[in-house]
Amino acid sequence: MIKVSNLTKRFSGHTAVDDISFHVNRGEIIGFLGPNGAGKTTTMRMLTGFLHPTRGKVEIAGVDVMANPLEARRHIGYMPESCPLYTEMRVDEYLKFRAKIKEVPRRELKNRLGTVKEQCGLTQVGRRIIGQLSKGYRQRVGLADSLLNEPDLLILDEPTAGLDPNQIREVRDLIGRLAERHTLLLSTHILPEVEMACKRVLIIDKGKIVASDSPESLQKRLMGDAQISADIQGDVQTIASALKAIESVDIVTTAPQEEGWNRYTLDSAAPDIRTRIFDCVVSNGWKLRELHMESRSLEDIFVTITQGQSIEEESK
Amino acid sequence: MRSFLTLWRREFAALFLSPIAYVMMMFFLLVTGCGFYWLIKENLELNHSIQGLMVVIWASMLIVIPVLTMRSFAEERKSGTFETLMTAPVSDTTVVAAKFTGVLTFFLLMCIPTAAYLAVVGWIKPDIIPLLDPGSVIGGYLMILLISAMFIALGLLASALTSNQIIAAISTFAVMSIFFFGGLFEPHLSKTPLVREIGSYMSAALHLMEASRGVFDSRSIVLYLSATLFFMFATTKAVSARR
Repeated sequence: MIKVSNLTKRFSGHTAVDDISFHVNRGEIIGFLGPNGAGKTTTMRMLTGFLHPTRGKVEIAGVDVMANPLEARRHIGYMPESCPLYTEMRVDEYLKFRAKIKEVPRRELKNRLGTVKEQCGLTQVGRRIIGQLSKGYRQRVGLADSLLNEPDLLILDEPTAGLDPNQIREVRDLIGRLAERHTLLLSTHILPEVEMACKRVLIIDKGKIVASDSPESLQKRLMGDAQISADIQGDVQTIASALKAIESVDIVTTAPQEEGWNRYTLDSAAPDIRTRIFDCVVSNGWKLRELHMESRSLEDIFVTITQGQSIEEESK
Repeated sequence: MRSFLTLWRREFAALFLSPIAYVMMMFFLLVTGCGFYWLIKENLELNHSIQGLMVVIWASMLIVIPVLTMRSFAEERKSGTFETLMTAPVSDTTVVAAKFTGVLTFFLLMCIPTAAYLAVVGWIKPDIIPLLDPGSVIGGYLMILLISAMFIALGLLASALTSNQIIAAISTFAVMSIFFFGGLFEPHLSKTPLVREIGSYMSAALHLMEASRGVFDSRSIVLYLSATLFFMFATTKAVSARR
């Protein structure tokens, strides 16, 4: 669906996007992550043909965006960051205007408008002036607009930015429903959102793609240095040395708790050593009341990756 | 073609939705109305007054056109709607043409009431009408059309080059003034014949006087048509260069 090769965008003085390449297949839901100023919006703008790349090539549904911009745009539904709209128009008026310039056939116009308004929950506010709508509703109008031409590919730049938690949930549900029918590329700061919805994550930092994988396998790759904590009752010294004796356990820290219980926190390079800890405890006749592995959230991954180390480099 | 019409309609309608257009309309009718009244009062020779009316319309263009065109691209850039517009399947040329035609139709609509001034004169003094030369009236309005087309295209270019409406308006005004004063002070402009000739060639006021006398001069028509096309071409380039 999307084929990006060696895409570079240089603004006077700095390189916003630096030689990135990636593929997105039809039907995928891609989360596009990165700190502010990493080049997410620039990349998305180049995908839609709004910005011209300094170098490199973008293909949308097999159409070269530079060579044939109008044809490529017919395949895209795009909602820019902060969702700009003509605030002096009414919702119906605006959607009708957008549908017309997006070449929705005259005969289907009414149907399409009805469908997207229903999808986005706008049936009640059709007569309202956009400028008087709340941020959440405006976001929906923007989404409805991007759906008008039944695009193969939906590109949403921070669809939930600036919304309150209820509105975020609504928009997220809506996106979830859309994902069934469209290829989706969305950028966001809100990581749980990506974790929930996206099958694949692209992390971009300083204009380069530093990771591209599913959230689960990104987690697995980082599982190597997972943290395990165990609550064990018994003599601290003996237990600590026994735990240290287990292969690939690096550090043990202890935190004393009530009635002789101690919480041991282990850093391990091996994938999963919980059963071995259990065996160790049982064979020594100690008591164990809690044993769990801190699973790394996407947030940890994001922080790890964007603060210098690239997972891909590490795994090589 | 359908997207052109849609965009044109939106441009045209957007002008009616902004208070500034009504202010301009009022200003325009006030200036031309008072101007015409004064012209008629001072000299009752109707054909001269029509020439005068054309020049008054041209003088108010100096304010009206920068204000009407300043928002066209600058506002969209500022509010970000430029991004949604330019990622829809419409070409840059279509967008520029639609914005141009939108402002032009609005301006021409504004000019229609000025024709009523003549009707009012005819109503007050019916015997003056046979003296009226329809050729000169039509010539005058056609020249207004050509001149306004050129300056609207110029205004669009200025608006496409900045995201600040004030800067767009002022630079349009500045370039228009060269055409305005260049002609007005032509005899005092310079001792060099070449400079004076260029001054008179560019003088919109002179062209209007000629046209509303019923004189057909192809030089001015070529000037306005070619300049309009040039400015529109430059606007299209400016729109795509800022990507």
